[in-house]
Amino acid sequence: MIKMNNINKVYQTEMVQTHALRDFNLEVEQGEFIAVTGPSGSGKTTFLNIAGMLEPFSSGTYELDGIDVGKLNDNQRADLRNQKIGFIFQGFNLIPDLNLYENVEVPLRYRGIKSAERKKRIERCLELVGLGARAKHLPQQLSGGQQQRVAIARALAGEPRFLLADEPTGNLDSLMARQVMEILEEINREGATIVMVTHDPELARRAPRNIQVVDGQLADFSLYQGAPNKQQTAGDIAARAAARAAEA
Amino acid sequence: MLELKPMINALLRSKIGAVLLLIQVAITLAIVSNAAFMISDRLTYLNQETGYDEEAIFSLSVSTFDPSINLVQQYAQDERDLRAIDGVIDAAMTNWMPLSGSGSSSSMHLVPNPEIGTGVRAAYFTTNEHMLNTLGAKLIEGRNFYPEEVVHADNYGKLPNTTIVTKDFAEELYPDGSALGKVLYQGEDAVEIIGIIDTIKGPWLNDSRPANVVIFPFNLSQPRTGFLVRTEPGKRAEVMAKVEELLLKSESRRVFYGIEGLDESKASYLARDTLVMRMLVVLIVVLVLVTALGIFGLTLFNISKRTKQIGTRRALGARKSAIVRYFLIENFLVAGLGLVIGAALAVLLGQQLMKVFSLPSLSFTFVLASAVFMLIMSLVAAWGPALRAAKVAPSIATRSI
Amino acid sequence: MLWYYVDLSWRSFKRTPLVSILMVIAIAIGIGITMTTLSVYHMMSADPIPSKSEQLFALQLQTMDEGEGWFTKDDIPYQLTFKDAQRLMTDAKGDAQAAMVRTGFAVHLGDESNAPKLMDARATGRDFFSMFNAEFIHGGPWSQSDEDNAVNKVVLERSLSEELFGETNPVGKTVFLDKFLFEVVGVIEPITEHTKYYDLNNGAFRRAERVFYPFSLVKELEIGTWGNSNGWKREMVTTFKQRLDSEIVWIQYWVQLDSPESKANYEQYLKGYIQEQQKIGRFARKEPKYSLRDVNQWMEYNEVVSEDNKILVLLSFMFLAVCLANILGLLLAKFMRRAPEVGVRRALGASKTQVFVQHLVEVGLLGLFGGLLGILLAQLCLWGVRESYSYYSALAKMDFLMLASAPIIAIVACILAGLLPAWQVCRTNPAYYLKTQ
Repeated sequence: MIKMNNINKVYQTEMVQTHALRDFNLEVEQGEFIAVTGPSGSGKTTFLNIAGMLEPFSSGTYELDGIDVGKLNDNQRADLRNQKIGFIFQGFNLIPDLNLYENVEVPLRYRGIKSAERKKRIERCLELVGLGARAKHLPQQLSGGQQQRVAIARALAGEPRFLLADEPTGNLDSLMARQVMEILEEINREGATIVMVTHDPELARRAPRNIQVVDGQLADFSLYQGAPNKQQTAGDIAARAAARAAEA
Repeated sequence: MLELKPMINALLRSKIGAVLLLIQVAITLAIVSNAAFMISDRLTYLNQETGYDEEAIFSLSVSTFDPSINLVQQYAQDERDLRAIDGVIDAAMTNWMPLSGSGSSSSMHLVPNPEIGTGVRAAYFTTNEHMLNTLGAKLIEGRNFYPEEVVHADNYGKLPNTTIVTKDFAEELYPDGSALGKVLYQGEDAVEIIGIIDTIKGPWLNDSRPANVVIFPFNLSQPRTGFLVRTEPGKRAEVMAKVEELLLKSESRRVFYGIEGLDESKASYLARDTLVMRMLVVLIVVLVLVTALGIFGLTLFNISKRTKQIGTRRALGARKSAIVRYFLIENFLVAGLGLVIGAALAVLLGQQLMKVFSLPSLSFTFVLASAVFMLIMSLVAAWGPALRAAKVAPSIATRSI
Repeated sequence: MLWYYVDLSWRSFKRTPLVSILMVIAIAIGIGITMTTLSVYHMMSADPIPSKSEQLFALQLQTMDEGEGWFTKDDIPYQLTFKDAQRLMTDAKGDAQAAMVRTGFAVHLGDESNAPKLMDARATGRDFFSMFNAEFIHGGPWSQSDEDNAVNKVVLERSLSEELFGETNPVGKTVFLDKFLFEVVGVIEPITEHTKYYDLNNGAFRRAERVFYPFSLVKELEIGTWGNSNGWKREMVTTFKQRLDSEIVWIQYWVQLDSPESKANYEQYLKGYIQEQQKIGRFARKEPKYSLRDVNQWMEYNEVVSEDNKILVLLSFMFLAVCLANILGLLLAKFMRRAPEVGVRRALGASKTQVFVQHLVEVGLLGLFGGLLGILLAQLCLWGVRESYSYYSALAKMDFLMLASAPIIAIVACILAGLLPAWQVCRTNPAYYLKTQ
């Protein structure tokens, strides 16, 4: 699904070069749920931006679903984002002038889906996040948790193969955060690949696979012994799940 | 891929920016279309054909203050002197100057001493058989004055009995047939129309009938009078420069003044209208610039307010072109509605102006043309900000505040 | 507190110089255009003689026979016949009166020193100078006996006196008007600044005459008018004598009436005069009208301010409105971007009113700058007007009132435009911005 090979991202300012990502390697398989953790400034967000094609990278290769992203132009990247990726942002990023229905509609519009089909999908997605009855409301009329659920509905509406979540619970209290997390897990069970950036270790632990970004590099080598990008086995997942259950 | 409905909904929800733009566009259209109409009205007036070769003719006036001078003889001598100047084609003495704003007019009648208000008004000038040639007026029917028809006098004791009129006047007088050979009355005094000339304008261009002109063969030699002189092309300035000195040489007890080309007389007669037209032009040019600036500023404001939103849209898969299109269409919608309201406002303003001032009624073509022009202008003004909006990086979406 | 607000405004100005300059320019353009048209309008319509405009009256008499109309609004001719004017002068029932007419001469000294110059000259009564506040530098008006006996006396305007005689006092010297020898009795400053309100026949903004001489000389020397003559009656007029006795109107007539009583008395006198004239067959209509208009009424009646000028003033105020809509938008953008800062201020205890006033002060300051720049722009435009149309050269200027009102109009307009943005920003919920900061 995702194949990142020696990705480097350098921010050039007048005085200094900052390596946001350094020889970054990662492989993600279809259906995984990965939590990305790491301290502030470690490069988590840069990784997410590159994974979501929101930012170009300086060197290396990145394949998404077998497509070499580095070779695409801006429009092709936009179209690819639209078709394959669903975004969930920390700040929700709902468009304040649009009601919930219209917000969820945005990616479908860009894909050029017919009105009837759009309606079907939007209603299904809003239903899924439990906000079907409030389609005509404006974002500011909702609580933070509800807004994030709308954002999830928007991410899902396009039926993406790949969900990128950036601190999806960062602005939410713990109860709401749990609700959102449950929805994400539900989506994952239905087959979507999810990459979630978070600084909340508890949340991260709920994800089957954890990776840590430190100083622009993947830092969970120890777990996988010399095969950093090797996909973790079902056994790993089961073991971790068991460990989590034991803790609880 | 038009997203009109949500766009309109969004516009309705974020009113202020849109309403401001709308008001601006509406008022601007109302002003611009009315001002453009006034300008065009004025231009037609300013650029009207006068019937003269204005660059080849000049006028000069004289005031003779010594009563012992025999004016009839002196002026005849002056005419001869003028015609003798190298480069002069012809010269004639006359009591008024074309296009100057001052002259005489009178009502001419088809019967002697009629009831009040039945005549046709015309500017008249008293001159001699050289006038047609001096003016360059084209004789359409009939003939020029014979020299012996011209009355040379310093009082009104004897009046001429023939006249030459413009075709404009002739047509008003006899709409259905030729006026040639007909008799005109001024009170009890009768004159026969012996010639009809092509259109020339009288002293007042702002007259409702500026081309109603009647010429009498009457060389009235009064202390204050004038001469019209026609020169060969390009020789006028040279002749004008030396004419005063030359004529003073033959008789110095008098003052020459008002030596100016016909184009200059016309320009100074029209100076006020020219000024008003220029002010209107300045007004609408600056106004359009200010409005364009306003559209530019408001679009920029709308975009800066929505940077995050643009980033989000880009993240959700909007192409750059889709963002540009979004803002252009949004602008088009607001400007379009503003123009519809503005058109109504323009018509209303036009009606009010017409009611209060003596203006012709606003032609709707001007409103339409101005609206199209402003629509293009608003799109051009929104173009830059829209391009800027498209440059918003999609990664802005992951940045918190 | 106000000073603190001004300081804040100045900081705000410097923080977003581009937007601020754009706003100042927008105001300046609006004010510049508006003040240009308004200045011309103001100069045109200004009371030319404020101290006496309510005591000086232009007299009109409806001399025509029944059924005869006139081209004026009220069917009364602008001017008087010579015989009426002369009779009213002789009766002299007003507190002061002056019949007058525009004439012209070749002015020279009779020798070779100056080439004769053709210029306007006004024949008028000796009261003219006191009535219209003439300021004598040398000498004074001619005497009543000079006037009664039609003696060749002349008053010159200073500029002409200097042209002819240099800096010396010319009183007692002689000058030729055409072939007539005149004795100079006085020198005055220009009688009007820009509006030639005492005779509006040949253009309201024409330069005032520089030569004045007794009205009685018109008859004596048979001097024709350089102004308008209009007639309604079919009558034989070939000699000057016939002209003086005719019904042709060509004389302007002003009377000074210092109090309502003297005005009432004068009207009584006029009615009596008309009745008396009716007995000899003149004023042959049922109700011959007369009219006494004071200076401002007279200017209004003569439409001194042209339609074009009114339209331009109207359009330029609409123009100002567009500039304000512009500023309103920019202000909204500027203020809303500052909402977080306002949130902090509100949290620190600033009241809504204080925030509101702070922003209005800022807007007022923008208006002040815009107004000042607008004055410069208006000066430029007015210069353009003067260059383009010399007839307006005395009019296209800003007097003190206009100079003072430009920034005031600018500030008031800006504050009006700033009300909405200031209100918007002061009612923002402080908590909202603090939370998301």
